[in-house]
Amino acid sequence: MSTGSKRLWQASPLTYGALILASLLSLFPFYFMFIVATRKLEVINAVPPPFSPGGDFGDNFGRVLDNEHAAFLYGLINSVIVSCAVTLSVVFFSALAGFAFAKLRFKGRNILLLAIVGTMMVPTQLAIIPLYGMMQDWGWGATLQAVIVPFMVTAFGVFMMRQYASSAISDELIEAARVDGCGTFRIFWSVVAPALRPAAGVLGLLTFMDTWNSFLWPYAILDSDTPTVQVSLALLSSAYYTDYAQVFAATAVATVPLLLVFVVFGRQIIGGIMEGAVKA
Amino acid sequence: MGVTPRRRTFAVAAIAAITAIGGLTACTKKNDEPSTPGEIKLVVDHFGEFGYDDLVKQYEQSHPGIKIELRKTAQLGDYRPKLVRYLATNKGAGDVVALEEGIITEFKANAANWVDLSQYVGDKSADYLPWKYEIGKTSDGKLLGLPTDVGGLAMCYRKDLLEAAGFPADRDAVSALWPTWDKFIEVGQQYRTKTGKGLLDTVTTAFSASLSQVGGDLFYDKDFNVVADTSPAVKQSWDLAVKLADAKVTAKTNTWSAEWQAGFQQGTFAATLCPSWMLGIIEQNSGAANKGKWDVAAVPGGGGNWGGSWLSVPTQSKHPKEAAELAAFLTNADSQVAAFKAKGPLPSNLKALDNADFQAYQNAYFNNAPVGKIFGEGAKTLKPVTIGPKHSSVKERAFEPALQAYEAGRLSAQAAWDQAIKDAKVQGAF
Amino acid sequence: MSLSAPPAPPQLVKPDTHRAPSSRRFRLSRWDIKYSPYIYVAPFFILFAVFGIYPVLQTARMALYDWNLIGDHTFTGLDNFTALMGDEYFWNAVKNTFGIFLLATVPQLLGALFLANLLNQNMRGRMFFRLMIVAPNVTSVAAVAIVFAVLFRRDFGLVNWVLGFFGVDAIDWKGQTWSSWTAIATMVDWRWTGYNTLILLAAMQAIPKDIYESASLDGAGKWRQFWSITMPQLRPTLIFVVTVSTIGGLQLFTEPVIFGDGRILGGAQREFQTIAMYMYEKGFNDLQFGYGSAIAWALFIMIILVSGVNYLLIRRSVK
Repeated sequence: MSTGSKRLWQASPLTYGALILASLLSLFPFYFMFIVATRKLEVINAVPPPFSPGGDFGDNFGRVLDNEHAAFLYGLINSVIVSCAVTLSVVFFSALAGFAFAKLRFKGRNILLLAIVGTMMVPTQLAIIPLYGMMQDWGWGATLQAVIVPFMVTAFGVFMMRQYASSAISDELIEAARVDGCGTFRIFWSVVAPALRPAAGVLGLLTFMDTWNSFLWPYAILDSDTPTVQVSLALLSSAYYTDYAQVFAATAVATVPLLLVFVVFGRQIIGGIMEGAVKA
Repeated sequence: MGVTPRRRTFAVAAIAAITAIGGLTACTKKNDEPSTPGEIKLVVDHFGEFGYDDLVKQYEQSHPGIKIELRKTAQLGDYRPKLVRYLATNKGAGDVVALEEGIITEFKANAANWVDLSQYVGDKSADYLPWKYEIGKTSDGKLLGLPTDVGGLAMCYRKDLLEAAGFPADRDAVSALWPTWDKFIEVGQQYRTKTGKGLLDTVTTAFSASLSQVGGDLFYDKDFNVVADTSPAVKQSWDLAVKLADAKVTAKTNTWSAEWQAGFQQGTFAATLCPSWMLGIIEQNSGAANKGKWDVAAVPGGGGNWGGSWLSVPTQSKHPKEAAELAAFLTNADSQVAAFKAKGPLPSNLKALDNADFQAYQNAYFNNAPVGKIFGEGAKTLKPVTIGPKHSSVKERAFEPALQAYEAGRLSAQAAWDQAIKDAKVQGAF
Repeated sequence: MSLSAPPAPPQLVKPDTHRAPSSRRFRLSRWDIKYSPYIYVAPFFILFAVFGIYPVLQTARMALYDWNLIGDHTFTGLDNFTALMGDEYFWNAVKNTFGIFLLATVPQLLGALFLANLLNQNMRGRMFFRLMIVAPNVTSVAAVAIVFAVLFRRDFGLVNWVLGFFGVDAIDWKGQTWSSWTAIATMVDWRWTGYNTLILLAAMQAIPKDIYESASLDGAGKWRQFWSITMPQLRPTLIFVVTVSTIGGLQLFTEPVIFGDGRILGGAQREFQTIAMYMYEKGFNDLQFGYGSAIAWALFIMIILVSGVNYLLIRRSVK
């Protein structure tokens, strides 16, 4: 990538203006969310709406915690567990399989790789109904296993790691390790895994965010006993009676972990998105 | 190349993932294993507001060793499919399950799913409104559900808004304003002229109320054939809804929508149909700031029964005896009075209806309206209607959407009716 | 492998061709080289077989049955599909899905192209602007939908309030087809425009600069360069972006559900019920698993068709 090199054109004030406007549009819904989350319930119906935050976040979030039906705190904890477990597993298995596809020779490699790429097109919706029945048969209905185990590997992850491993790891390095007597797993563990770290980091971030945000399947299989945070949000917002200050306080709290991840790892995420784009 | 720390984090991470998966159940709220030996945990599944929060605490205190969890689902539309799935997979249902009138017939059809409560609580037929008790039984006499509440009708109205529009605010005077639906429409038109706003929230609440007022066969006949297209009650109620829409006396705020909820606080509309279980919902939606502004008057066109539920025990419960006893407690006279005071569901227990405390009860939120008297008087004269198996699906997913589309001016009356009838056949298939 | 085993530092690795491996070790390493790759790819295929292929095949089977969760499974052949072809609500859902998709994708791509073009310049705060515009992408769909549903309310919504200044009467966003599509498309665009901007930007940066330089020498202006150099070079990326948006767009679910107050019908007349929502309605609310499966397959076939068309376009453009 040629990020650092000189560009042809110089940005004009108009460019800055347009970009600032785009940034504001990007941020406004977040800002609106925090305004409502920190103000009294009544402001949601105020015309015109307020444009500055207030001091009632504590009250609002207190009501979220008191709301047994939505079980928000459980949702938050469950989402952390689910997202971490899925992320670690996806990164691990993707690195392993990606390495095998990129650097090991075995019969049927290309066909298997093609199969993996092909499965990226299969929508969740296609599997969801039998999956539901399967989970119930196994007694996994409304358990966290049901939202973790089926997602422990992704075709995207394998594909991404394979692409990265192909270019980032030289065959000589692997040959050298092999000649030195390393078994394949040892090679993976001590030579390949460290080299895959940057890609693993990006894959991990993307997987974490995807899992944190996933909705359709958790919404179908989980209930108010074992919600993820998104299911809690949906439960909070679809009641007979919607306390928007409460819902927005919860939404803000559910969004903050992601924003933190984003602020800390933003560069890597952006790099990952852009690099993935060029490879594809 | 410092491999070790990286390797270690990787390994630790992998192990953490595996442990996390192994130990998941620790992080769920449901706890099938009693925390102390000998303790029994009972789960009560219900929707909306039943007013049981204090009652279960009371029961836990008087029954050491029993822990109760109330599992509330907000809307009946979300509640039913979940319950169907629990029963079909024979797993996950509460020990005590509330069944609403719109869904009980469907669930009664698979009687094997339910415990015959009479073996634990005996014959309670003398305690409840007879027709209500009968619906809780199967044709061969098994008692599958104990009656909770009935949905006696009233009209809740905003005192301040009517007054501002030049109408009397006193509840008797307001009741006298609209003895019939035609009179109600006249009032609504005057209100529209004065304020530019709709008097009633939406036509679908009037449709539901009217169904119960007309009574008889609604969407189904006695043999559970869908007769929505020929049923006089449906036609009459439909015509009423259309008339209300044509006269522009509604605020076009669909029930349960964001606009509807906001409308309670903002005074978008000044009246809504309130079966007594609706009182709690109105109070919550309107908020503390509007305390005393709502009041309760008579419904145009006479009494009717809209809604109301039963408590049942699924056979999959591990503690059917304790569950049945809890259901009996929650539906006894004292509990029904307490629930009424808490959230408004109108007792179906005869002793509760005769209870002096109940009859004298005034709801402070509703301008101290004597709701015990208002709802109690009509309760004993309520007429049963034929509630088919998929009553609530037909109502909520065929008729209400069609009426909303007509109300918003997006379908002609004929097109809306055709849509409703077509959808009723799909939704009502049993 | 034990965790405490000493690491093998790569610098120790040097060719030592004279070392004769013991025969046992040799066998082991032959086995290792030949078969261990399968072990590494096995987790993916095992999990995918259980949670991907099996359910997909099962969906195909269920689609041929009148399959109720309660217990009746009657083989009905292609009846579900025949019924689907004549199901007005299914076609309505197809229309909505594609309608919302188009309404979302066209402005989204134009916006992304525009922003990517702006960002592909020398400027201060490049990273800052990139972070800003891609921030919406990290938020959960449910959160986005809840916030936008409030912004798009009829009676007390911010959008109607702003439109009021321009003399527009309060719009019942949920009440009409065009307005509900617009509101949902706005949610989708807010979330994905920044993401696509970055992808297009990456592609723009990969275009060799000397092409532009020689064009400049020939006197081609900025606009001209954009059309005759940037656009043709971006074509494969654009098609990629469209393909990804299509696959995502055809599966649209969360935004319309939460926008419609959590109701699966998507408006009183199903103005914004998408295919995924209709599948959910039939499968999980009505518990007609067979019919729901047929809808799922129809959706999958559409995705394959659209992706196939895109693939052909890519091939043509590469040649």
